[in-house]
Amino acid sequence: MLRYLSSLRLFFSLLAALGAAFAYQTIFNKGAPVYGTGWFAALGLLLAGNIAACALRRLRTAPLYFTLLHAGLVIIIAGAFTTRFYRFEAVLPLHAGEESSLAQTDAASYTLPFSVKLEDFRLEYYAEPQGVITVEEGGRNYILSSKEGAVIKTPGGASLKVLRLLHDFGLTGKNEVVEKSPYWFNPAVQLEIGLGGKKKKLWFFGNFPGMHGQDLPFLVTYSLEQAEIKSFASSVTVKRAGRPDVRAEIAVNKPLRMDGYTLYQTSYDPADATYSLLTVTRDRGLWVVYAGFVLLLTGVLLWLRK
Amino acid sequence: MAAQMNFINVSFAFTLAALAAFAAGYVLNLPRLAAGADRAMGLAWLALSAGLGLLWASLGRPPLSNQYESLLTLLWFIFPLAFYFGRKTGRREIIPAAALSACLLFGAAALLDRTARPLMPALRSNWLMIHVLSCMAAYAAFTLAAAAALRALLKKETAASEDFLLRLAKTGFAFLTLGIITGSVWAETAWGSWWSWDPKETWSLLTWLAYAGALHLRKKGIRGARFGASLLACFALVLFTYFGVNFLLSGMHSYN
Repeated sequence: MLRYLSSLRLFFSLLAALGAAFAYQTIFNKGAPVYGTGWFAALGLLLAGNIAACALRRLRTAPLYFTLLHAGLVIIIAGAFTTRFYRFEAVLPLHAGEESSLAQTDAASYTLPFSVKLEDFRLEYYAEPQGVITVEEGGRNYILSSKEGAVIKTPGGASLKVLRLLHDFGLTGKNEVVEKSPYWFNPAVQLEIGLGGKKKKLWFFGNFPGMHGQDLPFLVTYSLEQAEIKSFASSVTVKRAGRPDVRAEIAVNKPLRMDGYTLYQTSYDPADATYSLLTVTRDRGLWVVYAGFVLLLTGVLLWLRK
Repeated sequence: MAAQMNFINVSFAFTLAALAAFAAGYVLNLPRLAAGADRAMGLAWLALSAGLGLLWASLGRPPLSNQYESLLTLLWFIFPLAFYFGRKTGRREIIPAAALSACLLFGAAALLDRTARPLMPALRSNWLMIHVLSCMAAYAAFTLAAAAALRALLKKETAASEDFLLRLAKTGFAFLTLGIITGSVWAETAWGSWWSWDPKETWSLLTWLAYAGALHLRKKGIRGARFGASLLACFALVLFTYFGVNFLLSGMHSYN
């Protein structure tokens, strides 16, 4: 039995089974991922058993690199199982000024041992985006400068004048138009359109192209150029009972590690610039896996020098 | 964009010239042509280095973020690896094999979208450099291993090339290990999870397992021509992981 568990024959069978599972999952499977199934876990367990048995059987005679490399792999798989069964992940949705310790999953909410207050959410573009107003008439495009006061006359005899430009169009309770945030989430332009002696004021929105298409003899499109986002970040204060507050910035690629939990900047809401979505995880398997990585990499480097 | 494209095209031209010189030298039995071809390969690498350097300067970041940029980086590794292993093992035939594979990869690069976009927030990390460089170095070593294996199989010289093929495969395997590990550590920082079964991750792991399988099969006595053939089969997985996943499967590694 132990002989079979430590055999290369079992190793090759497991490779074939894993290969088939990966190919099926990534190319054909549209249903629940195979990675969560019991049989996939069994394959992982068998693989760890196979590698461990083989390494143990050769423990006395094997060179150091062999033991390190194979021990590293077994530890990584052990870490993967720890992650699979004990990893906690939930989202922490916050609005600027709001404080919460309630993290939510699809099924339930959890009270974290600390609360997080979102001081501020910031989004940064590589360059200030540019709004572009295009007027399409008779199959030709005319660009209207996106500056307040700019005017264009079309060959069809219409005149268009830029009245107001907004990055993030919003309405107050009294139906007044306001700039909701400095970010280009709902770019809009108000034009005064002179057509056949009559003038009317219309709003055009970047997010809703084709508006007023039926009412006008031309098509106005408001689009954005160079709106690439460089980074987005939340300034937070973490409050813990009986301990000093921690102020920190959480950004993509810059998580905050706190008492065994990690907080990541996950998302934001283009409809609400004060909103920030953080993800909270707690993964004890992570450090097991990293320990396995160190052993594996050391083993591989020693093997390379052999 | 113009200056770096000129250098990259010149590099392609030198590589093509080297390939032609190798072929002519072989057909006409003129060893001096092969020496000239070696020099052309050296110049091709210098031109490519200059092109990548200029591309880096013009982008203001390392050229590692889309398939086109990463393929140029892969190509950049082909030349020094070929020279290093050619000199170290005395098997100079790796240089023509490198010239052939580099020409094919230059051809593939010409078909790719060159549009450079600013890095999305998740890619703005110091891990980008080490992760992509390790993966591209691995793919370059595997490319050379496959080219050398193909040559050895065609000339029925696999027994003599065995040690050489093994060295290349081991180098690629070590770099791929580093590439997957750095990718995992970066994923934990950027995405919040050290493994997400993203298609690119999954196929990289499958490729890694396949090379592990080939190396273990060799221990079992699958050597010579069969080891060469196993390296070719594994390389098909490299190609799928590098190109196929991007074009056929969508996932978190979709940046183009």
